[in-house]
Amino acid sequence: MLEIKCPYCGKRSQNEFSYGGDASVKRPELGKEISDKDWDDFIYNRKNPRGKHSEFWHHIAGCRQWFKVLRSTATHEIFKTAKIDEEL
Amino acid sequence: MQKYSILSLIKNAFSNHQNWEVAWKDPEPKKEYDVVIVGGGGHGLATAYYLAKEHKITNIAILEKGWIGGGNVGRNTTILRSNYMWDANGLFYEYGMKLWENLSQELNYNVMYSPRGIINLAHSDAQLNVYARRGNSMRLNGIDALMLGREELKKKIPFADFSASARFPIFGGLMQPRGGTARHDAVAWGYARQADSMGVDIIQHCEVTGFDVQNGKIEGVQTSRGNIKTKKIGLCVAGSTSLLAEKLNMKLPIEAHVLQACVSEPVKPFLDHVVTFGAGHFYCSQSDKGEMVMGGDLDGYNSYAQRGNLPTIQHVLSEGVAMFPNLSRLKMLRTWGGIMDMSMDGSPVIDKSHIEGLYLNFGWCYGGFKATPVSGWTFAHTIAQDRPHKLNEKFTLNRFNTGHLIDEKGVGTKTWIG
Amino acid sequence: MSQNFRLDKGGYINRNKKISFKFNGKKYFGYQGDTLASALLANGVHLIGRSFKYHRPRGFLGVSVEEPNGQVQLYSGATTEPNAVATTVELVEGLVAKSQNCFPSVSFDFGAINNLLHKFFPAGFYYKTFMWPKSFWYKIYEPIIRKAAGLGIAPLKPDPDRYEHKFEYCDILVVGSGPSGLASALAAAKNGASVILAEDKPRFGGSLLTDEVTIGNKKGKDWADETIMELKSMPNVIVKNRSQVFGYYDHNMMVMIERTKDHIENPDKFTPRQKLWYIRAKEVVVSTGSIERPLVFGNNDRPGIILASAAKEYMKVYGTLVGKKPIIFTNNDSGYDTAIIFKKNGIDPLVLDVRLKSESSVVKEAKDLGIKIRFSYGVVNAEGYKKVNSALIGKLNTEKTGYENLEKVSCDCICVSGNWTPTVHLSSQSGNKLKFNEKVNAFVPNQPKQNESTIGSANGSFTLKKSLEEGFDKGFNLSKKITGKDSKISTPTSNEKNYEQQDKFWCMPLPKNKSYKRCVDFQNDVYVTDIELAIREGFRSIEHVKRYTTLGMATDQGRTSNLNGLQLVSNIEKKIIPEVGHTTFRPPYTPVTIGAIVGREVGKHYRPTRKSPIHAWHEKNNAVFVDAGLWLRPRYYKQGNENLIEAAKREASNVRGNIGVCDVTSLGKIDIKGKDSAEFLNRVYTNAWMKLPVGKARYGVMLREDGIVFDDGTTTRISENHFHMTTTTAQAVNVLSHLEYYLQVVWPDLDVNVLSTTEQWAGAALAGPNSRNLLEKLFPNMDVSNESIPFMGFKEGDLSGVPARIFRISFSGELAYEINVESGYGMFMWEKIMEQGKEMNIEPYGTEALSTLRIEMGHVAGSEIDGRVIPSDLSLDGMLSKKKDFIGKRSLNRKAFIEPEREKIVGVVPLDKKTMIPEGSHLVADSNASLPNPKLGHISASCWSVEYNNPFSLAILINGKKRKGEKLYALSPLKNKVIPVEIVSSHYVDPKGERVRS
Repeated sequence: MLEIKCPYCGKRSQNEFSYGGDASVKRPELGKEISDKDWDDFIYNRKNPRGKHSEFWHHIAGCRQWFKVLRSTATHEIFKTAKIDEEL
Repeated sequence: MQKYSILSLIKNAFSNHQNWEVAWKDPEPKKEYDVVIVGGGGHGLATAYYLAKEHKITNIAILEKGWIGGGNVGRNTTILRSNYMWDANGLFYEYGMKLWENLSQELNYNVMYSPRGIINLAHSDAQLNVYARRGNSMRLNGIDALMLGREELKKKIPFADFSASARFPIFGGLMQPRGGTARHDAVAWGYARQADSMGVDIIQHCEVTGFDVQNGKIEGVQTSRGNIKTKKIGLCVAGSTSLLAEKLNMKLPIEAHVLQACVSEPVKPFLDHVVTFGAGHFYCSQSDKGEMVMGGDLDGYNSYAQRGNLPTIQHVLSEGVAMFPNLSRLKMLRTWGGIMDMSMDGSPVIDKSHIEGLYLNFGWCYGGFKATPVSGWTFAHTIAQDRPHKLNEKFTLNRFNTGHLIDEKGVGTKTWIG
Repeated sequence: MSQNFRLDKGGYINRNKKISFKFNGKKYFGYQGDTLASALLANGVHLIGRSFKYHRPRGFLGVSVEEPNGQVQLYSGATTEPNAVATTVELVEGLVAKSQNCFPSVSFDFGAINNLLHKFFPAGFYYKTFMWPKSFWYKIYEPIIRKAAGLGIAPLKPDPDRYEHKFEYCDILVVGSGPSGLASALAAAKNGASVILAEDKPRFGGSLLTDEVTIGNKKGKDWADETIMELKSMPNVIVKNRSQVFGYYDHNMMVMIERTKDHIENPDKFTPRQKLWYIRAKEVVVSTGSIERPLVFGNNDRPGIILASAAKEYMKVYGTLVGKKPIIFTNNDSGYDTAIIFKKNGIDPLVLDVRLKSESSVVKEAKDLGIKIRFSYGVVNAEGYKKVNSALIGKLNTEKTGYENLEKVSCDCICVSGNWTPTVHLSSQSGNKLKFNEKVNAFVPNQPKQNESTIGSANGSFTLKKSLEEGFDKGFNLSKKITGKDSKISTPTSNEKNYEQQDKFWCMPLPKNKSYKRCVDFQNDVYVTDIELAIREGFRSIEHVKRYTTLGMATDQGRTSNLNGLQLVSNIEKKIIPEVGHTTFRPPYTPVTIGAIVGREVGKHYRPTRKSPIHAWHEKNNAVFVDAGLWLRPRYYKQGNENLIEAAKREASNVRGNIGVCDVTSLGKIDIKGKDSAEFLNRVYTNAWMKLPVGKARYGVMLREDGIVFDDGTTTRISENHFHMTTTTAQAVNVLSHLEYYLQVVWPDLDVNVLSTTEQWAGAALAGPNSRNLLEKLFPNMDVSNESIPFMGFKEGDLSGVPARIFRISFSGELAYEINVESGYGMFMWEKIMEQGKEMNIEPYGTEALSTLRIEMGHVAGSEIDGRVIPSDLSLDGMLSKKKDFIGKRSLNRKAFIEPEREKIVGVVPLDKKTMIPEGSHLVADSNASLPNPKLGHISASCWSVEYNNPFSLAILINGKKRKGEKLYALSPLKNKVIPVEIVSSHYVDPKGERVRS
């Protein structure tokens, strides 16, 4: 079971969190023209790397904050966690 | 090729089994092939076999990074079924079931196809209705399906929790009688042996390091054992698809996730069906060795690690005990994890690509094993004819742009939910 | 039978407490402190079971978790346990055990015919045959194979025992209480670290229990006892025996299973059988020791052939002899210790050593004691079927490829010693890639991937001195890193025999013209010839060998066979072992009871049950409940003998004609506050929200980004910057996460906060033409007129002193109000409604009537919003704002979503106006078309329309918009139904929506 450091609450076991996917994916701005390709990349296409992956997690059984995690998809090692407005 | 049979077994017994031939050879890679299949898993081996058998293309290399059959074909819970709601899936997998039915004889290798029936338990009338929609769709597609009531289920699986203390009582179930299991390793080995005998080079410990693409056309492949020329490459590397796609500057609609499975110690068989739990995500069958083979949810975050964590197993087994309370006293023998290409609508892609001569086969989520024959069959057709067969024409990559999605579960793009 | 293989003294058993038990129906005695295995051996019982494939007689090879053969069935009925390893089962009064996998008995087993036919059943034989004719596999062959499958018998009843979970954190977890483990625990604890010391066995001390050594001038065992006493007295230390750490998971999450009940004679009622510990350790010290390897020779799997270290432990710990005429067969020095202990107990062993000589002190000691030793000798074949009675021994030629002479010696046991395999499972599970250590001829851990350190013999350090040094060093250094403290205790001096000499030779060649079966994997019946065959057939990768032969895949996970298998592959392939590689170790280390993993999530506690505060009233009033996610909701209130449909008709009719009340507490509720709340809703919902006046509610639809309908509900503007959102019961949790995601991640600039208030409010829906009259009675001081509270209006009121929210919203399509009060007043509200409504003949209605009412009104619910539809499919196009962007809008212009023939929600009425159309039926044009019959749509929901008194269904139909009036067929092949139907509007009742506004 992963141990994840919530930037607000500290280290907690994984079962307090839910996963939120690739954090490098940015929602396009509302109301802005966007190509099919960019929209499909937002919704469907993923880099899906083996190795360092920045991702969202949500502390659902805690402070209910979304935050970012830099984690290895090869070893599950977590290098860093950060608030949404912080750099990973 | 030596024929396998009871007679050959007896004959060889008298020479102390000293005269068996190798099941497949161990060749050096040649400089050029008509087709290169990347990935020596079930789908890759089957593709090569059907290319040779159905399309008479035999100058083929299968390039495998490790040892053949070492990926998901050897790490799954061996369930075969075609109990799908959408036509694209139902008709595709049903063709697969027909291939399964003859596979042992066709390959002269006992893959132990065992149509013991797969039962999906339902725990409310609403769930029964959802199953009815699927079951009726199956029947209208010519696929076998039955609705079972609680009393019929009591006869088939009396040890399931029919008591008043069940949190989610069993209301009924949908059964596909021809669904069942097969022996996973045998499938890989059987295809390998036949493909090898028809001239396919199975090259193990050969990692693809790059692709030679010129003017939008495939010209060859770079490997840890040298460069190989070819005009056609079939990519069959579920679990590593994105890693190879990256070498082609492609981003695909998949994420890699680990799915764990586990087996109990072997006990005398008491469960003769494959049963899935409806108030959770758990499935269970009992192997011919007596082990309870169990699986369920993904671990739920991107992973290539082939290792999972215990809370997922705990969650899955709690569903198991809720379904079959007698499992509680058995012991879990072994857990393992496989890497799934989780596609964004839960269905696979078998398609050409924007690069001429590059063919894609990925996104099997956790249903790839049962597809092995039909995936190979349709992919071979797609590669040989340079166009999809009717059976796989809906499994396009483009559907993620057009919206022609094939979403069996209706959960959308959150692949980690499964 | 008396315990005539019990030594007169010695061992750590309690000879004052005699224990009776049964094995295969026969009564025996042992002592407290025995295992089932030691007690059986003390009674001279060696034949325990039959092997998996060939049904060969088998006895104990080991003394603990390494045991491959000694599996038994314990007890019977609900508490039976299959495949219990007798060497780990502690003896308790009344224990009942029997042999497995044999019929009719272990002594005379029909299955043994397989052994005679073994030639026809080599590795993988089943892949080559049973293929003809086709159907015979699953009709004939497979059922026969399944009859033979499995070992023990599974209970078929629910497990009466309970299992508990515990969560712990510590600085250092030490796994194993041998010398290195004790040393590291002590050093770490003395330096201020919080320590958990876990020992799998009942007794602490590991090798110190059996080895004649001294530590700091004390006997090893005494030092161990004192160290344990000291550790137990320290507040920063948890010491646990009977506790196996079986899994090393991510981020140093260790999982341990503690056996808490089965060894106790009269346990308290609520004693859990086992406890599962999740331990998050900052550092893990793996001091799990090592396991002796057997030597391979003809019929080396016969009962009476046992690991030398096991024989030693039976004598030293249990005062039990495994035989009285032993042969010790060894390729290294450690086997001599067993010989010496036999000798000291008055028994003359014969030592056969494959080496030319050894100069070690332990060999000298054996010689000095007068023990017979034959160098260059080994056992060629063991004779005796159910128990070894003699051995064919041979003098090896110099190349060790054959024999200079052969002779037969009588014996009653053969103790084998073939080097030691470090127990590296946990290290390997942690991600540590093992390396091969030539000196100890085994894999040992390499670079740690997590905070893991492996020490002692698990690390290939086979001397006491080295183990203690590693232990004290590791314990101190790791604790210093964590606590920052610097109190170091010095490593005590130690004294031990030297056993370091060994030979790598391990597999005895066959004499000419002999084909003795030489066993490599005992439990899975894998023999030397099987591995040779696999390689001959091209299964050369070690993983292929493993899978083809099943080597190492039995319940003992190859603890005694893996390395011998590797050595064999290495010999045949002429590769060194590191090139052959090893198969992966996976958790659990030994099989773990499934119930223990599950813990308390069983029966009704499998998942939580959510009940509304009005639940007790529903129960009292004959409600039949339905699971709605985790919620229990009344489905209908049964009166007399009526069935579901009749009750739903009655309840729904009362709503249409009079008044009904429904508990809607389970609906998701989200409180939304902040000055940008309206803007936020405008982005989240497909319709416009900026101009919603205070005191008004609005229906909204939410999409996923891919354009698919996600959820719907009404949201009310309580005040300028305060909204109350409702969601469906099913999606409540997901909608909240969805909103939080957009607020925190995508639009953090919006000043909005959201909070789930699902549990804060109890809700009751009053529906029916009489509902305004009741509302007036409930809120006598409030103006309840249509002008004051119009359709989609909202007001706060006072329900006999309780603050209440009144929403004029309707799911039933009738004039309706939803009243919310704080949950604690839910029952008060409900009772008030029932009391005030009594004279109007108010009736409660459940979810079934609710469905009837919404279906005939054409309101969509979960059965239509199934995660695959877009708004236009549900005729919700009008809800899509053209003026603004919203979540998912960009996806709606995709090709598939704008196809003219796209499906659409419609109403369906059977032509006979009698036959209910089963939900899940499909609509087709031709009921007799050949298969596959093209499907035009499916029936999503059906009801008996109380308005028209005939069946009515909703369907999602291809090109449904243009099919009104068409005649189609609803087919349910599962129910053998072919129903001619007509397509009508989905708004079957009150299509203009006048009633809700009345």
